[in-house]
Amino acid sequence: MNLFLQLFLNGLINGCAFALVALGFALVCNTTRIFHFAHGGIYTLSGYLFYSLYTQQGLPIGLAVPLTLAIAALAGILIDLFVYRPLDRQNASTMMHMLSSLGLYIIIVNVICMIYGNNSKILVSGLLPTVKFGGLMLNVVQIATAATFVVVFLGFLALLKFTSLGLKLRAMRDNQTLLSLYGINPDTIRLFVFGAGSALCALAAILVGMDVGIDPHVGMNAVVTAAVALIAGGIGIFEGAAFGALMLGCLQSIAVWQMSARWQDMVTFLVLIIFLLFRPQGIMGRRGRLEEADA
Amino acid sequence: MPDLLSLQNVSKHFGGVQAVDRLSIGFAPGKITALIGPNGAGKTTAFNLIGGLLRPDTGSVRFEDNPISGLNPWRITSLGIGRLFQDVRLFKKMTVLENVMTAFLKQEGESLWRVMLVPWTETGPEKVRREKATELLEKVGLHHLAGTPAENLSYGQQKLVAIARLLAADARLLLLDEPTAGVNPAMIHKLLETVKRLATEGKTVIFVEHNMEVVRNMADWVYFMVAGKVTSFGSPSDVLSDPEVQAAYIGRHTTEAKLTLGGESRVETSRN
Amino acid sequence: MNYLFHIAVMINIYIILSLSLNLIVGVGGMMSLCHAAFYGIGAYIGTLAMVNWGWSFIPALFLSVVGTAALSLLISYPSLKLKGDYFVLGSLGFQSIVFIILYNWIDVTRGPYGISGIPTPNLFGFKIQGLPLWFAFSTTIMGVCVVLISLIMDSPFGRTLRSIRDDEIAAGSLGKNIPWFKIRTFAVAAGFAAVAGMMFSGYMRYIDPTSFTIMESVFILSIIIIGGAGNLQGPIIGAVVLVVLPELLRFVGMPDAIAANMRQIIYGLAMILLIRWRPQGLLGEYKFS
Repeated sequence: MNLFLQLFLNGLINGCAFALVALGFALVCNTTRIFHFAHGGIYTLSGYLFYSLYTQQGLPIGLAVPLTLAIAALAGILIDLFVYRPLDRQNASTMMHMLSSLGLYIIIVNVICMIYGNNSKILVSGLLPTVKFGGLMLNVVQIATAATFVVVFLGFLALLKFTSLGLKLRAMRDNQTLLSLYGINPDTIRLFVFGAGSALCALAAILVGMDVGIDPHVGMNAVVTAAVALIAGGIGIFEGAAFGALMLGCLQSIAVWQMSARWQDMVTFLVLIIFLLFRPQGIMGRRGRLEEADA
Repeated sequence: MPDLLSLQNVSKHFGGVQAVDRLSIGFAPGKITALIGPNGAGKTTAFNLIGGLLRPDTGSVRFEDNPISGLNPWRITSLGIGRLFQDVRLFKKMTVLENVMTAFLKQEGESLWRVMLVPWTETGPEKVRREKATELLEKVGLHHLAGTPAENLSYGQQKLVAIARLLAADARLLLLDEPTAGVNPAMIHKLLETVKRLATEGKTVIFVEHNMEVVRNMADWVYFMVAGKVTSFGSPSDVLSDPEVQAAYIGRHTTEAKLTLGGESRVETSRN
Repeated sequence: MNYLFHIAVMINIYIILSLSLNLIVGVGGMMSLCHAAFYGIGAYIGTLAMVNWGWSFIPALFLSVVGTAALSLLISYPSLKLKGDYFVLGSLGFQSIVFIILYNWIDVTRGPYGISGIPTPNLFGFKIQGLPLWFAFSTTIMGVCVVLISLIMDSPFGRTLRSIRDDEIAAGSLGKNIPWFKIRTFAVAAGFAAVAGMMFSGYMRYIDPTSFTIMESVFILSIIIIGGAGNLQGPIIGAVVLVVLPELLRFVGMPDAIAANMRQIIYGLAMILLIRWRPQGLLGEYKFS
């Protein structure tokens, strides 16, 4: 039973990290309808950037983290400016955005491979200090992950509920063209969406990287998990993505407990298929038929 | 003569809106029947119920005295009911001729085994289909455009191709959803001529129309619907002189019922 | 010379893969990201029959094609419900599940260790051994596949499939049984992918799951996007270009370790640029929009 609780706790904390990626993904996907695979590229990029700044160059963590977040945000914005917006202007379908995004992901990952090699990297050498709660054990990075998620999530909810930017985000989710008719420029909101979304993703990459290390191919898993979390929580619902991610983390830990760690990823895809087929609007979704959205 | 198609006590509701309310109507073979009525009266819903895109809540739709409600759209088509959509729906990237050739029913060459193992058995039937399709295009006067991609045609021409497509699918009953909407006046004439000729050749036509001039010209019989019910029916001159019908088309809101129609029409368009 | 034969064999395999995927994507209009799954299932079913049960090549090939076509139901049935982006995600989920099973079901697939010592195909006592023979053999199979696929594309089946791509509702209202068309399209495309899988395993004489990843599916899809969709020429030229290009990199003296990454960077870039500037690909007739 203790083993289960420990695994469950680990799963929950993995879920917190997924949730950071998923919130970033949801910011982009809910407002622009782009299935932003390149988000995974940003994840990998931030992990390696932090590795260079912190592990290799020895920058203090208080400098390396903001620098990484800023560069990730910039990268996200540049992707929107130079890849997605030209496609918008020629009225390309979301499918074309998705394929371009996949192309971008491939480029980013392979450039990283060329620079750093194919091997995985350890960001923090030696064992991380741990804290014990009863019979359960967590390391400091895990605790930081949970704390970061709670702060970010509460901040995110507050932003959505109480600020005019949050109102605009919700309006943009419902109808992007209508927004511009009211004299609000969706392009400036997009700057925020891609910048903040990428920064959240970078935050997760740093935390997970410090805990378990990184390799060039982690990004795909991260973005697919985020996409599944979004679908499970309900497309169009920002906080839904976070719940979906926490749920995935917990379900994965149950899979690890019942079978073995090898089958952990299977959970993600089974959840994906089950939701797509039987509840495409997600746990928290209200709309009846999702497939009509792109008809 | 018994009706070719009949709706018996058919109802359909969307959420709280009763789109079609215990509707019982019949359509005689070889006749042109118009369905008219204000927006949201349930005309398009009736078409969707006949064509199998919707399933009635209660009641039954019968074609040649066999119940067809609940069958898949493609099965209903293969019985001989063809539909011209309000927005035409041609296969845009394909040529006009291919559009028509696709529509023939029961093409043996749609079997993968036959295509891969005995491909030569298809050359004959394909030639016949090509000739028949060309004939049908001649019938609607578009054979000169056979090789043009469908998306390059004018709206009126597209509707004519769609009619040729229905004929290729052996439709004996044609459901035309606002055939003249969006078509330029010169083309309307040609379109209506074609439809009339088809009726004299024995096709049964049901059409939804907002242009009363067209209804007067074309229809043998008219049903006037309001809020999912038929409130008036008969020959065009009878129905169009009914004061309630006139009120609906002149736009005076005489009865309370019509005031609710605005809301209803929004519901219906969102379902299309 | 042997080097050229090797490249030709790989081109033949990718032509079969891209043309069969083209049936789903270019003719059927369903953007699928799971072709490497069919390719892998085909390779594994046939190879396991040969290695474990001692079947010879031809019955194993037959089993592999039939089995893969049958398993395609696992994605073609959901495809009836999923439209557009959701289908892409569903196919990606299927691809990932297949990979995870190949990688982790070690008792059957031998997982990451792969299957080695695969016997060379033996056609009625005649062994396909050596590169020149492999070149001839693979070219023959490729030729047969191209002929069959072109027959399908030019047939009433292909025409009806294109009509479904253009407007599903209209095709249904013309009496076309859309689910049945889609299911058969996936089955036949999966069957051809299985042929490619059997060629790959027979030629390499070793397979492991890393040849059948999501990235491989993306690669096959990119062949179509780059070469062009909807006709025969597009996918064929795409396969030639994408297989030959990285070999050219080797000629200009790029070390192998980097060339592998460079190849992927080039096709990623080509995808983005073509979607932006030439959505019908190099020689395709169907324009993605």
